[in-house]
Amino acid sequence: MKRREMLRASVLGGAAAALTPALAGAKSGRAAGLQGAGDEKSELTPAQRGVDASKELNVANWKPVFLDEHQNETLIILSDLIIPATDTPGAKEALVNRYIDLVMAAETHENQKSFLGNLAYIDGESMRIYKNTFRYLSREDQDDLLHTMAYPMSGSTWTGEAAGADPGFTNFEQLKTHIGVAYYTSQIGMKELGRDDNFTHGVYQGCDHAEGSHK
Amino acid sequence: MSLFNFGDDPLTKTYDAIVVGSGATGGWAAKQLSEAGLKVALLEAGRAVTPAEFTEHTPAYQLKYRDHDPEIARTRPIQKQCYACMEYNYTWFVNDLENPYSTPADKPFTWQRLRVLGGRSLVWGRQSYRLSDNDFKAASRDGYDVDWPISYADLAPWYDIVEKYVGITGAAEGNEMLPDGQFLPPMKMSCGEILFRDRVKAKFGRTVTIGRAAVLTKAQNGRSACHYCGPCERGCRTFSYFSSPFTTVADAQNSGNCTVITNAVVAHVNMDNSANKATGVTFVDRLTREVKEVRGKTVILCAQALESTRILLNSSTKEYPNGLANSSGALGHYLMDHVTGGGAGGELPNMNEKPNANEPDRPNGIYIPRFRNSPSVKKSANFIRGYGYQGSGDAVFNFGAGGYGAVYKKAVKEGNYTIGVGAFGESLARWDNYIEIDKTLKDAWGIPALRISMTHGDNEKRLMEDAAAQGAEMLEAAGAINIKMQARTEMPGMAIHELGTARMGNDPKKSVLTPFNQTHDVKNLFMMDGASFVSSACQNPTLTMMALTVRGCAKLIDRFKTNDV
Repeated sequence: MKRREMLRASVLGGAAAALTPALAGAKSGRAAGLQGAGDEKSELTPAQRGVDASKELNVANWKPVFLDEHQNETLIILSDLIIPATDTPGAKEALVNRYIDLVMAAETHENQKSFLGNLAYIDGESMRIYKNTFRYLSREDQDDLLHTMAYPMSGSTWTGEAAGADPGFTNFEQLKTHIGVAYYTSQIGMKELGRDDNFTHGVYQGCDHAEGSHK
Repeated sequence: MSLFNFGDDPLTKTYDAIVVGSGATGGWAAKQLSEAGLKVALLEAGRAVTPAEFTEHTPAYQLKYRDHDPEIARTRPIQKQCYACMEYNYTWFVNDLENPYSTPADKPFTWQRLRVLGGRSLVWGRQSYRLSDNDFKAASRDGYDVDWPISYADLAPWYDIVEKYVGITGAAEGNEMLPDGQFLPPMKMSCGEILFRDRVKAKFGRTVTIGRAAVLTKAQNGRSACHYCGPCERGCRTFSYFSSPFTTVADAQNSGNCTVITNAVVAHVNMDNSANKATGVTFVDRLTREVKEVRGKTVILCAQALESTRILLNSSTKEYPNGLANSSGALGHYLMDHVTGGGAGGELPNMNEKPNANEPDRPNGIYIPRFRNSPSVKKSANFIRGYGYQGSGDAVFNFGAGGYGAVYKKAVKEGNYTIGVGAFGESLARWDNYIEIDKTLKDAWGIPALRISMTHGDNEKRLMEDAAAQGAEMLEAAGAINIKMQARTEMPGMAIHELGTARMGNDPKKSVLTPFNQTHDVKNLFMMDGASFVSSACQNPTLTMMALTVRGCAKLIDRFKTNDV
């Protein structure tokens, strides 16, 4: 048995052994009629009930509930430019647009407005410079436009401060944050960060360098 | 052995002790008293929990909203100010719609709490530090307010008992401000933390130690050593971190002398006014809203500082018109919560380590004990007392990298080596930081709610400013770059270390509790939680609350032996 398997076996064994008193506690109250009429199970979060929602976005006839068709297509293109497939899958494969649509549908009015404002800003700049909305530009023009927003004052943005005031940069970074969160919390994104889906990887080893040679 | 109670109606009996609240201190009171042979009723306002609902191994992508569930914002806008209130576990936290409180408009206070068996011990930060006589006798040293009526020597043996049972990982340091304890093997430090520790010691002579945490690094009492999965606050199926339902409360139940009554929302303490004795408590069934009573020879409030005091304020009688056991007038006053918001962060260059999503995740950080106004250094000019820091240093993914495309994707994985420290500062006890009953507001069970009036003062503000400056200087000494200071004074409540409102003391005219956590006014009524603190010190308080509880219960057991209750 590998060390990790042994650890996992002890994890599960420990749970079974110690389950007894906690359950007995719940029972003693219930037997005494003190638990009341409500269904305590309904007080668990979906995660605590063991619900795995990771497949819900991956349905054949998916339709956006918050975004319209144009906004959704624009978001897919943007997410694919910002986190493209490389030797690993990118934001498009991770269905970043679908997750953002789900979350945005439940967001506050203020946050919804802000997000749609980010998308609209891109289209506005696209029409100003290229006379067409972002979605219909060539890949090259899309990339050029994003570049001017991501690096607004080339050569002086390293401090972050001057660039922060640029509306193009602000809108770009806000969209990038939404797309980044959606990607790196997806199963594909977590795999991109190296996660193997095992919940335990041994004891934390810390630094094992000799004194005075820490790096 | 609690099966023994099946069939009995737990409300027809008169218990030796009624313990209200099943968290860190209530669990200890129930364990200690029931194991001494006393009959105990342990009341909990929420439901029981089982390990089946733990989610510490659930990846974020399995959550529908990946921790952006709109239900949290709707029902728990205050609770979600706590990092531990997440889509995984948010129903452990109270529903803010059902559990209101008020504050003056210019004095915001965030009150974060749980109502389930185990209370906040299910999600606590686990950091466990002793107080020293620099804290217990602080008033004698700097002239502010009063000393505690107990000294370190009074509490030290009880700290020992608690630490051995709870299981505290940590390293002995011989630091004058932070007494050592009974430690399990320490967790390891990262390279950056060791670098920081060594350079801070060399330049400032200050101690940087690995955090002292209530997490097992060796198996004990049927609990496994930590498996470093990370998020303790979602539960722990190996019971490696300390939470009361699977330790103290389980022991109490196994004694055969403890009846756990869940969903019991306690409204007030009942009194025999002619005898000046508590006779039990009245509670509202959380689910059916039936009003019920449970009787006991003693009543021990362990509901956390604000809730325990709220119960007494709601238990006024003709004899005690301003709250039960409040002849001193001090009940509700001297509310404290550690001040937070000061600290610094930066990056350590030239570290070879890259971030890794598969690394063992250490549920602990580093700790810098208080160094300001200590016996061996000169007094600070512009503030009294001091602060300690918690922090950590590690390689992290660089989600904030600039640009986009393949370049960005690569930069995220390259990561940064960041290091940071954040302070917890002493919150001075002040009469004008207080709680009272809101005259109109009631909770969902019809129980009058609290009005909380608290601000951090100038001393707290200066502590955080100093913590920012000192943090930055120490990071600089360690060779950090891109250092950012933060000198905010966070809203009270953010530390989730509410203390005081029923301080202990020798003088019944100026304090609510005796040095053994009994109320001065009513001999068989006790408060064993953070309410009893005279000063907040700057150390995380739960360990001290547990030690005070064990000490108070030992005294109570002696009194039962001599029929003196």
